[in-house]
Amino acid sequence: MPELIELTTAVAAGKRVDTVRLTQELLDAGHSPQSIVEQGLVPGMAIVGEQFKRNEIFVPEMLIAARAMKEALKVLEPLLVKAGIKPKYTVIIGTVQGDLHDIGKNLISMMWRGANFAVVDLGTNVSAERYLAAAREHNANLVGLSALLTTTMPAMKETVRVLKAAALPNLKVMIGGAPITQEFADDIGADGYAADAGTAVEVARRLMGEAA
Amino acid sequence: MNPRTAALGQELSKRPLLGDGATGTQLQAMGLAPGACGELWNTEHPDRVRRVNQLYLEAGSDLLTTNTFGGTSFVLESHGVAGRGRELNLAGARLAREIAGDRAWVLGDIGPFGGMLEPLGETPSEAVAAAFREQAEALIEGGADAILVETMSDPAEAALAVRAAKGAGAGLVLATYTFQKTAVGYRTMMGTNAGDAVAAVIAAGAEVVGANCGTELSLEDYERLTAELVAAAAGRPVIVQPNAGAPRLVEGRICYAESAGEFAAAAPRFLLAGARLVGGCCGSTPAHIAAMAAILKS
Repeated sequence: MPELIELTTAVAAGKRVDTVRLTQELLDAGHSPQSIVEQGLVPGMAIVGEQFKRNEIFVPEMLIAARAMKEALKVLEPLLVKAGIKPKYTVIIGTVQGDLHDIGKNLISMMWRGANFAVVDLGTNVSAERYLAAAREHNANLVGLSALLTTTMPAMKETVRVLKAAALPNLKVMIGGAPITQEFADDIGADGYAADAGTAVEVARRLMGEAA
Repeated sequence: MNPRTAALGQELSKRPLLGDGATGTQLQAMGLAPGACGELWNTEHPDRVRRVNQLYLEAGSDLLTTNTFGGTSFVLESHGVAGRGRELNLAGARLAREIAGDRAWVLGDIGPFGGMLEPLGETPSEAVAAAFREQAEALIEGGADAILVETMSDPAEAALAVRAAKGAGAGLVLATYTFQKTAVGYRTMMGTNAGDAVAAVIAAGAEVVGANCGTELSLEDYERLTAELVAAAAGRPVIVQPNAGAPRLVEGRICYAESAGEFAAAAPRFLLAGARLVGGCCGSTPAHIAAMAAILKS
């Protein structure tokens, strides 16, 4: 009978076929879908995030690992839905108004899915109002704003202002992107900043009140 | 080969050449909305695009870059103008050609297509190759003397663009990547080091290789990166076009850390490290280029 740790190792290494096979074998052996996600897949993606942060791996390896996890989730999701099990946190993500770049945003989205957050991806060129409406609709715990263009940094500031002014209970806002710094995040009143897709999971967890 | 392109190759063997600075930020200063499609201005506001080319010519640029960075059909499609690739690239090249005259050369600018290639991403390489080819053909027809493939992260994409430019008849292709500083040295977003990045575009036929833009790279970083690029270039000329420092938002306005003087003072160090062409990327202005020109001439 396979161990959860084998699944963790397989997903971290991006071994899609092994990941799906082990997921099925663990199910057959009586593990709950929830435990397979939380104790098998999520720790695997956490390893990926750590390695990415330390520059031991780069975007290609991260994409490959996320794809392996996605395939495993295809097996598990129908079972989770049937059991009425939902992710603990709901997060909204998008690239701010005036910016059509989505590679960075997609990486964060992937890593958040890998952490078993329910991710609502609003795409690119997202207005402050659309972020706010989505946060309300989904009763989100967190909104993540991405930007690549320096010129859209003011749009980020405005979005943070609108989200903060709405004063939704428990809603946190974090930002990131090539031109963004912690100093800028502090300056515009964002709750958090992540320098890369590996850090984005830790920062999100911390903002939502979990120990890192 | 176009005689101007041949002359560019000869000039490059004689003296260091000066590129130009940022285009997008100049257009924004003239009213282009942040995030709007700047390539549309090649037909809507040709006077303003000409003005940017003119300012860099007057600043002393030997090479004027066309306003076509986002001119692949993929990027144009995201702005809802996918069908206008040929028209906008042709117009951009003609504007720069008109200003350059006999005083400068025109680099037809090609930026990334904006997605990820298969197998990592969802976009088939054939479609991307066709988009680069369409763009390069229009740029050359409009009067570009060489093609500049820039801000690349994925060596596979960079190589596709270089091959497309060559296939379209470009007599000279320059290919530059954007690097970031990591724990294991300078790497592109895809994890590619300078040696592998340069090797990929040389194999595809690029005559000039180098770096532009970059994430959190200081001018000192750029000096070290230049040395790595030169070592990898195996005798081919190297071009470096850094940002004018890291952007900061000060009282609602974007400011770049490096003044024109500081920025220009780094140019001789890039040349000492072996670069043959220098210029600027994000945040650099005609003032930065004029300061570089003054130092290079002295």
